[in-house]
Amino acid sequence: MSTLIIGQAGIATSVQDSGRAGTLQLGIPPSGAMDPYALVSGQHQLGHVHDEAALEMAYADLIARSTHDCHIVITGAPVTLAIDDQCLDPRKIHAIKAGQTLSIRATKIGIYSYLHISGGIATEPVFQSRSTSPREVIGGFEGRYLRDGDTLPIGPTHSRPSRDDPLLDLSPSPSTLTLRFVPGFQHDEFSPAAMSALLGTEFSVTPSANRMGVKLSRGGLHSGIESLLSEATCYGAIQIPPDGAPIVLLNDRQTVGGYPKPGAVISSDCARLAQARPGQKVRFVSCSAEEADRIQWLERHFVETRLQ
Amino acid sequence: MTCSVGPAGEAAMRLVFEADPAPELTRTLLAIQKSAQRHFQGTLTDSVIGYATLTLFFKPLQFQRDRVEAWLLDQVDLTKTDTHCDPPPAIILPVFYHPSVGPDLEWLADEKGLSVDDIIALHSGATYFAYATGFAPGFCYLGTLPSQLMAPRLATPRSKVPPGSVAIADLQTAVYPCESPGGWRLIGQCPQPLFNLRHTPANLLSVGDTVRFEPVSEADFYAMGGAR
Repeated sequence: MSTLIIGQAGIATSVQDSGRAGTLQLGIPPSGAMDPYALVSGQHQLGHVHDEAALEMAYADLIARSTHDCHIVITGAPVTLAIDDQCLDPRKIHAIKAGQTLSIRATKIGIYSYLHISGGIATEPVFQSRSTSPREVIGGFEGRYLRDGDTLPIGPTHSRPSRDDPLLDLSPSPSTLTLRFVPGFQHDEFSPAAMSALLGTEFSVTPSANRMGVKLSRGGLHSGIESLLSEATCYGAIQIPPDGAPIVLLNDRQTVGGYPKPGAVISSDCARLAQARPGQKVRFVSCSAEEADRIQWLERHFVETRLQ
Repeated sequence: MTCSVGPAGEAAMRLVFEADPAPELTRTLLAIQKSAQRHFQGTLTDSVIGYATLTLFFKPLQFQRDRVEAWLLDQVDLTKTDTHCDPPPAIILPVFYHPSVGPDLEWLADEKGLSVDDIIALHSGATYFAYATGFAPGFCYLGTLPSQLMAPRLATPRSKVPPGSVAIADLQTAVYPCESPGGWRLIGQCPQPLFNLRHTPANLLSVGDTVRFEPVSEADFYAMGGAR
């Protein structure tokens, strides 16, 4: 079988596809690529149509060698790419010969980059997905982040690469990232002071940001809600723990929680937040559910027309 | 019972009851969940029961909020009259109650002015109802803890709670199925795995189950596969 041998894994590299559905009540999060646009862009460029899994690299610092001829493309946060020590354009599809060594390094923008290999990473699916949920030790490669020396199975290639499409790549964040959220959950029980603080404060992304969620700086946001019965969380849910610093829940979130939530950030802004580095300024703006649908429809339409 | 429906983000709808948790309420939520899985087949991806909530997750852009809301409110009226079925037999979970595996057991006894044996008798003497699952695979929120044992969470959660730890917080009890951070008070360990991907279903406990804890000796605990 074709394999990819990981010489150097980097700090948080995992196998991810678009994530799983139907496991929330079991306590298993959806997981999946933190930047879904980067995932579909790479899948499309390699002609993948079966949600083939890629390697998600946080602050990429990867060295890997393929045992077979293949095509690769890298999407998401911009990187530098060298093949056998020769620097190449990281935004193009490349043909790799068996035994060649890839070296991929993060640049100064974004967090998550995706290495797609023709055929996809062919680890065993769990609940119909190859996505890794490291805390639950489920999916991906042994349910964990990759380590130096791991050998990953690569699927057979059924497709030919289409064309480069750097347009879907990540662009630098604006100086202040706007997080649009749909009010819900305990929204109406939040004190007016807490809501005006949420809407009026410029927060910033802290280093406590990972696949579970992103903690923002500036505490002191006191909901005024005394106790809360545990209930389902959702993608983008804004949790306000007792220290008053919001946490936006993302792909590897706990499926149930007991902190007050004034609403949930819309999916397209979640993807941008996931790519935001510590220090990035953010602010919250409320948005109706219907407006969220329009934004999602337009973004999906944009992606689909790009990928035709 | 008053209830309301609202969005939980852009892809889910949440039904919430203004009521205290009770097995009756949970059985109503279970009945509505079951109907929803039939009624919205194909577009409903997940549904999650909380203590007083049911959250329905849909494929993005493939549901209409006003329709889901109207349907949920109809169900509340319809399901209210359902006679409840007999509860299933209680699932028995063995527990080795001991300070070596329950680091808060002696603290709890001191705090409550009870002996460790009293604590064990109280915790294992009650029958618990499974109100919700989640937090971690196999984790099940069980209630109601005898009020004499009610204890607040740790101010600073432990960064690592060993798998199998039997824990209490407020009026709830649970077993930590896998190693995770946790702020609940630990009073013992259960050698029985709560989650196994090779089993169908993978989780031992489901919402609506009844559960009892049975004290076991150290020797039995290890014989049953207890880890520590």
